[in-house]
Amino acid sequence: MAEHGAPGRVSFGLGDAIRLGYDYIKKRRDRALINIASVALGIAFLATLLLTDSFYRAFVVAGGAHLSIESYQYWLMFVALIVSVVGITNAVLIAVYERYREIGTLKCIGAMDRHILLLFLVESLIQGGIGGVLGFVLGVIGALISTGATTGFDIIFKVPVTELAVLFLGSTLLSILLSVIATIYPARHAAKLNPVEALSYEL
Amino acid sequence: MSFDTIIQLEDLARHYEMGGVQIKALDGVDIEINRGEYISIVGPSGSGKTTLFNLVGGLDRPTRGKVYIDGVDISQLDAYELAWLRCRKIGYIFQTFNLIPVLTALENVSLPTVFAGVPRDEGLEKAEKLLTSVGLGERVHHRPTELSAGQQQRVAIARAMANDPAIILADEPTGNLDLNTGMEIIDLLHGLNRTRGMTLIAATHDLKMITASDRVVWMRDGAIEKIERG
Repeated sequence: MAEHGAPGRVSFGLGDAIRLGYDYIKKRRDRALINIASVALGIAFLATLLLTDSFYRAFVVAGGAHLSIESYQYWLMFVALIVSVVGITNAVLIAVYERYREIGTLKCIGAMDRHILLLFLVESLIQGGIGGVLGFVLGVIGALISTGATTGFDIIFKVPVTELAVLFLGSTLLSILLSVIATIYPARHAAKLNPVEALSYEL
Repeated sequence: MSFDTIIQLEDLARHYEMGGVQIKALDGVDIEINRGEYISIVGPSGSGKTTLFNLVGGLDRPTRGKVYIDGVDISQLDAYELAWLRCRKIGYIFQTFNLIPVLTALENVSLPTVFAGVPRDEGLEKAEKLLTSVGLGERVHHRPTELSAGQQQRVAIARAMANDPAIILADEPTGNLDLNTGMEIIDLLHGLNRTRGMTLIAATHDLKMITASDRVVWMRDGAIEKIERG
């Protein structure tokens, strides 16, 4: 045997986690879609409000009447984001139960707790990114629908491009952040699984 | 301990607490297993076979006693070393195959090489060779659901071999297979034991599997009842 004697180290880097995580997202598409939809809807709400505000300001600059968003709408947005996070946590917890045996198997072939954690977090990061982009697109549509009749649908071209870019990047990053936060609890649960219990688990 | 001893168990015990009752799943097992040996472990369910496997495989910690692998007391290993042991020294084969369903046969077999830090191309090349050697050279890109039970167990065997482990632990490897397929799997495992010199420890009810082995360990109520030459 080549490695007779002192034990070495196992390895599972970010690239490996991305490759395996991508396979899980691709092959378990329905599970991934629930998470993506959950975060995308929350972000869509956020983007709708923020873009509406931008459109209103651009409308004033263009010589239109002064319009503003009611403060309760921001509260609704806040609640929507929390609901998204809870929904993702729930969906990932179910995914962890579905993958009990696989987690046990991964531990048998050399995975450590932190590798399992990394795998779940990478999956949620990818889903959060996709959900963020999708949510922003939905937000643009939502904001145009809510303001278009008053301000005209070409209002989007009157908003500075940098402002749109900041909103896009901000909502995508927030989406990733929320998705990862929502996954921490179930991912830690998965990572700490005892391989013996995980392997004998019957769904 | 002689040079040829690869596994030594000393007064090994594992007790559980269940509803206030202590269950002695394993209670004082002593045995030395030689490098390259083929051991069958036989006994009724609940006799402690799987508990023994979990302890030898570094998946569980004993209540009492010691497991030495290559002279190293595995209870002294930290999390990194234990992961390394599972990854490089031991190959696991399960009754339920336990392949990763989202991965192809090739990816399943190469996965242990990822954890072992083998470059990706090298790992895939090795996995393809192993799959060819277990007779699945034409099915490397199939997913587990596209393979028969016997083929899935072949993939699992190839995966267990991926890092050239010194020890193969097989828990009822033919338990979910029909008679003929089970025979093929036994022949395959036996062949690997003979040609590659891997120590093979298999829990089984299968008489064919028992007769092929060097020694048969009979277990009852968490202890060794008798050891016979195969």
